[in-house]
Amino acid sequence: MERTQQHRQVAHMRQSLFDQGLLDEQFVQLEELQDDANPNFVEEVVTLFYRDSARLVLNIDQALDKSPLDFSKLDSYMHQFKGSASSIGAKKVKSECTLFREYCKAGNGEGCMKTFQQLKKDYAVLRKKLETYFQVIFHSLLFDKDGEN
Amino acid sequence: MELPSKINNNEKSLQQGISPSGNGGLISNSKLTALVVDSDRICQILEKAILESQGVETQVVGSGRDALDLLASGATFNLIIIAMVLPIMNGVETTRQIRAMGIRSKMLGVTACSYEREKQAFLDAGVDEFIEKPLTPQKLASIMREMRNA
Repeated sequence: MERTQQHRQVAHMRQSLFDQGLLDEQFVQLEELQDDANPNFVEEVVTLFYRDSARLVLNIDQALDKSPLDFSKLDSYMHQFKGSASSIGAKKVKSECTLFREYCKAGNGEGCMKTFQQLKKDYAVLRKKLETYFQVIFHSLLFDKDGEN
Repeated sequence: MELPSKINNNEKSLQQGISPSGNGGLISNSKLTALVVDSDRICQILEKAILESQGVETQVVGSGRDALDLLASGATFNLIIIAMVLPIMNGVETTRQIRAMGIRSKMLGVTACSYEREKQAFLDAGVDEFIEKPLTPQKLASIMREMRNA
């Protein structure tokens, strides 16, 4: 595939993540922090997010299995999760975190459970799409290097 | 996966308690210094990266206790960025104790929380400003401008 087409594919994939409401401006801030000394900063921060947040997801799952629900604990877990999700620009996940916390505040267990199921789906979808996006970037860079040689 | 230097340096900072400068934390008179107090690794990395991109010498600790120990050792910072949710001693209590030590550094409370009552608690504890996460370069730049002009 031509270099221009590769670049277009990367740009298109990136734009679709914003158009689908999966990412917000914060992701752009991460990109702007990437430099020659740390060319994979964005990918590594995102990878670290998914690694670290897996524990929180498990904690929330386990806490939602208990009866009665400890809304204060659930809220605290989700507060932490929201902080790091918002730091990588995970827009949809962040708004579901906010909704979950509203349900915690209202003591609405069913609302919490439904929201968390949706959150986990969106969290997984974003992960998959970002992994694919980073792979395409990687191949595009390889292609650029081949082109130079 | 090997983390790049920007993330590895942050990890090393977590173990560093004292500034190497020997003058209590100020690396040079012309450079601003900051302490990030946050237990979330993503937030630590992001906040440190943003601060360093604006020329601020930054140290990171993961708990209120570590922050108090560092400050009690004589380290000083122009800016302290402190998260609300911290292990064992939360950000609000940590802020109170920092202010009780007589520390007058600019303190910026950061949190993913959007409830007014909790924001007010943070301000009442002694932070100068409060922002909702995530910290952005734009938000930091305006704070830096104020500090440099002060």
